[in-house]
Amino acid sequence: MEKFKVLVVDDEDDFRETIVKRLRGRHLDTTGVASGEEALKAMEQESFDVVVLDVRMPGMDGIEALKEMKKRWPLTEVIMLTGHASVESGIQGMQLGAFDYVMKPVPLDELLDKMRQAYERKRIQEGKF
Amino acid sequence: MWPSLPLGAGRGWLPWLAPTLTLLAGLCLWEGGYRFFSVAAVALSALGCAGVRALCVRLAQAENARQLLDERLLTTQKLAALGELAAGISHEINNPLAIIRQEAEWLRELLSGARFQDPAQLLEFRESLQEIILAVERAREVTGKVLELARERQPVIQKLDLNRLLEDMARLVEHEARRKNIRMERRFAPDLPPVESDGPLLRQAVLNLLTNAYQAMEDGGTITLTSSWAGPDHVKIAIRDTGVGIPPEMLDKIFLPFFTTKPPGTGTGLGLAITQTIIHRLGGTISVASQPKHGTTFTIVLPLSWEPQEQKG
Repeated sequence: MEKFKVLVVDDEDDFRETIVKRLRGRHLDTTGVASGEEALKAMEQESFDVVVLDVRMPGMDGIEALKEMKKRWPLTEVIMLTGHASVESGIQGMQLGAFDYVMKPVPLDELLDKMRQAYERKRIQEGKF
Repeated sequence: MWPSLPLGAGRGWLPWLAPTLTLLAGLCLWEGGYRFFSVAAVALSALGCAGVRALCVRLAQAENARQLLDERLLTTQKLAALGELAAGISHEINNPLAIIRQEAEWLRELLSGARFQDPAQLLEFRESLQEIILAVERAREVTGKVLELARERQPVIQKLDLNRLLEDMARLVEHEARRKNIRMERRFAPDLPPVESDGPLLRQAVLNLLTNAYQAMEDGGTITLTSSWAGPDHVKIAIRDTGVGIPPEMLDKIFLPFFTTKPPGTGTGLGLAITQTIIHRLGGTISVASQPKHGTTFTIVLPLSWEPQEQKG
């Protein structure tokens, strides 16, 4: 599988640390941060291909972070993760340009599949620009 | 529009031919479709009566289809012009809205250091500011959707597993639907090939329709989500609810921007307009059938392989 850079944004430490570890195990260049603010800071430092973003976080929530990310890095694809299904925020997220909206818990292989597709989409878009 | 022609099989049909041809030609001219006349005349001379009847049926169908297309094109053009206007206005309104919001937030900050003789006044001040900010957010939701409607977002085409996509969106809605005693039924064709389409756009469209479906059901019901073949190179998605249904006189308006049956402030009336725009952009069609008190079905037909459209919108 082709390598790409992933940023995982989730305030639940256990969840984030585990998923970062497992994605690294699949040879993905993965970084984990605990908040929307930190995510934006990380993205200023280096470029990421795919962001996995929790919807509900203290401080800047996922939707706010998504808005900011798509404004500043429109080509980076964002997969929203949610623990509680909220149709409202799902619609909002898709409208703001999220690549997908996924319910937790999601099997790693399924998530990986979505991440690959998101990355492929980014590559297609970059070819266009 | 076309008369059933007195063309019985067997002998004796020849004498009918001349008057029939004249009648046919007259009708064609009258319909303004005189280009059909030459085709019809040539074909008539070459074909037997069964062929003539079949031809007439085909011609009538073609004429109907053409009229439908003309109407659709006109509606599309009208909507495109309206959309452009609305987008222009939205854009202009967004700037002052941003200023109002920023100033309101600044006032809120100033307020933390302010002193009032009557503390109740401070509270009222705060609540008032909060109302302003909320109202600005609501306005921005509308302008955002209008801009979304007008934005020419070129689809990014990838091979999609349609059933997977439908299942994902169903799961999102199912959780919330269950609380309203709504069941989600899946009928996915197992043999669908990958569909060339834009995942995020299609997800948005399906999610919009699923939301509408569960909002249409007040005290429980069933949403049936179906995927199937539609001819050799198309697939069909159907979303059926057992809700209140749509009155027949409203059916042809529901895709129009700002048309809503929801109480003011709860819906922008742009969901279905956006959904239709998306589906057209994906090279597909969307249609609706409804029976008041029994429910509504939205049907999307998508091509298996996507080709860029010449026509915008």
